[in-house]
Amino acid sequence: MDAPLIQADCLTKKYGDFIAVNGINFSIADAECFGFLGPNGAGKTTTMKMIYCISPVTQGKLSIAGMDPRHDATRIKSIIGVVPQENNLDPELTVEENLQVFARYFGIPPRVSRQRIRELLNFMSLDKKENAKIKELSGGMKRRLIIVRALLNNPRILILDEPTTGLDPQVRHLIWDKLRELKYSGVTMLLTTHYMEEASQLCDRLVIMDNGTILMAGNPHELVNKHTKRYVMEFTRNGHNFDQQSFLPHSDCTVEIHGSRYYIYSDSDSILDSISKQHHITSKIVRSADLEDLFLKLTGRGLNE
Amino acid sequence: MNNAIVIDPPGFIQRVLSVFYRHYKCYFKHVVANGFPPFVEPLLFLAAIGFGVGRYVNTIEGMKYSEYVAPGLLASTAMFTATFELTYGTHIRMEYKRIYDGILSTPIGIVDAFVGEVIWAGAKGLFFSLAVLITISFFGLVHSPWALCAPAVGFLTGIIYGALGLIMTSFITEINNFNFYVTGCCTPMFFLAGIFMPVKELPVVLQKVSYCIPLTHSVNLMRGLVLGKLESFHVHNLLFLIIIIPPVVWFAIRCIKKRMII
Repeated sequence: MDAPLIQADCLTKKYGDFIAVNGINFSIADAECFGFLGPNGAGKTTTMKMIYCISPVTQGKLSIAGMDPRHDATRIKSIIGVVPQENNLDPELTVEENLQVFARYFGIPPRVSRQRIRELLNFMSLDKKENAKIKELSGGMKRRLIIVRALLNNPRILILDEPTTGLDPQVRHLIWDKLRELKYSGVTMLLTTHYMEEASQLCDRLVIMDNGTILMAGNPHELVNKHTKRYVMEFTRNGHNFDQQSFLPHSDCTVEIHGSRYYIYSDSDSILDSISKQHHITSKIVRSADLEDLFLKLTGRGLNE
Repeated sequence: MNNAIVIDPPGFIQRVLSVFYRHYKCYFKHVVANGFPPFVEPLLFLAAIGFGVGRYVNTIEGMKYSEYVAPGLLASTAMFTATFELTYGTHIRMEYKRIYDGILSTPIGIVDAFVGEVIWAGAKGLFFSLAVLITISFFGLVHSPWALCAPAVGFLTGIIYGALGLIMTSFITEINNFNFYVTGCCTPMFFLAGIFMPVKELPVVLQKVSYCIPLTHSVNLMRGLVLGKLESFHVHNLLFLIIIIPPVVWFAIRCIKKRMII
């Protein structure tokens, strides 16, 4: 296997006494889509910011395409495209002007950028919006425009910090589609998201972070298979009072109770069925366990803030 | 779409100019609205002085009062525009419009971005003093072709006051506190720089203060150029402006770098 495109050894970021990222290790291969999951404040965005050289590394080693952010920030940044968590389009400029100005930051000559801008606006279905003002765009259009902006320099690495937060399902699916196209064309992607479906759809591998450390790493489907049971039955207490003990005879079940909601995990749906009959549970959901169950199991269901 | 453009990262000058280009583009989009103040403000000033104060003042250093005051306005307008641009303007770009979050995720670094800002402040000083020069020329207040060099002094003035403003911006986190700097520092400089009366008429202590104000040197130069009365002390004024630029800009960049690193 080739040397990884991005390699972090014992990567640490401190703000005074606060440790935002605590000695994490990971490596990302060329053309891979790599996810960072975790509750707010887990250290995902900080890790991203160290990778795109906006935030200096406190300790540890970070290598991007063989370069060190401490010395080669300009070169590293020229091969990265960034979709930040918050939209930061230039409100004083139109769609096209935003992109032109940005292309200059990368040193792309105007005659090259004009062509590129047209292609990318087409690619993101924004071709009729060239002359629109930023405030005339919907949330979904702004997000797509930010992705266009991040692709201007034909980046080798695309950083996506919550790319689809707050968007409607149509736009989200369009964006996923486009991101998959980019992935097949060989772009390496780093993705943070709170949508587990997004992570399962796009990521080859991911890490689940909390409090600045990595709790688990691997392929999303393998992680779910390995660390959760196959099925889960969810129901609400509704006046009944179930004793946790009463489920225990079913050897292979695990039970989680959060507020008035019960989650019973098992590898066999027939066991869940018999439990529901035995306890006369009528309104229930039985489904396959997914990444969200694993995520919540690892990071807890309570608020982290 | 993958006609793989491989482009070398831009060099320092290209990076600085790309930031300058962004400001230039935004400014000239609304050129009529943005050009209105520097053309119209001197008109109002000259009207007030010509019809007002000027009637009570016979001559000052052998010239009409409006002739005496007008060249100073070329300098003060450069100071104020550069100051506002790199205090309120930069603060708004930084905290409200979040322009730099975008810029700094490209090959542009903090130093590139803010050197670009300071040069932009210089350019605004240049445009504004040029606008005032054009306006006062209609009143017959320009007496020498040397006046064509005046916008260059406006550029130097803009660089200095832009950098001073940037130092403030690196410390001030609450936008209303810029009032302390503008009203507390810039307005006194405006009155002490010898625009309205000769510095030598001031009390000795204030003469010394006046000497330390960059605007004073800028006003002297403007007056010499516009009136065509250049003397040896003007070389001193020019050297003063040129010599303080490197340390002031260096310090400003250092301060803003501290503020911007996360």
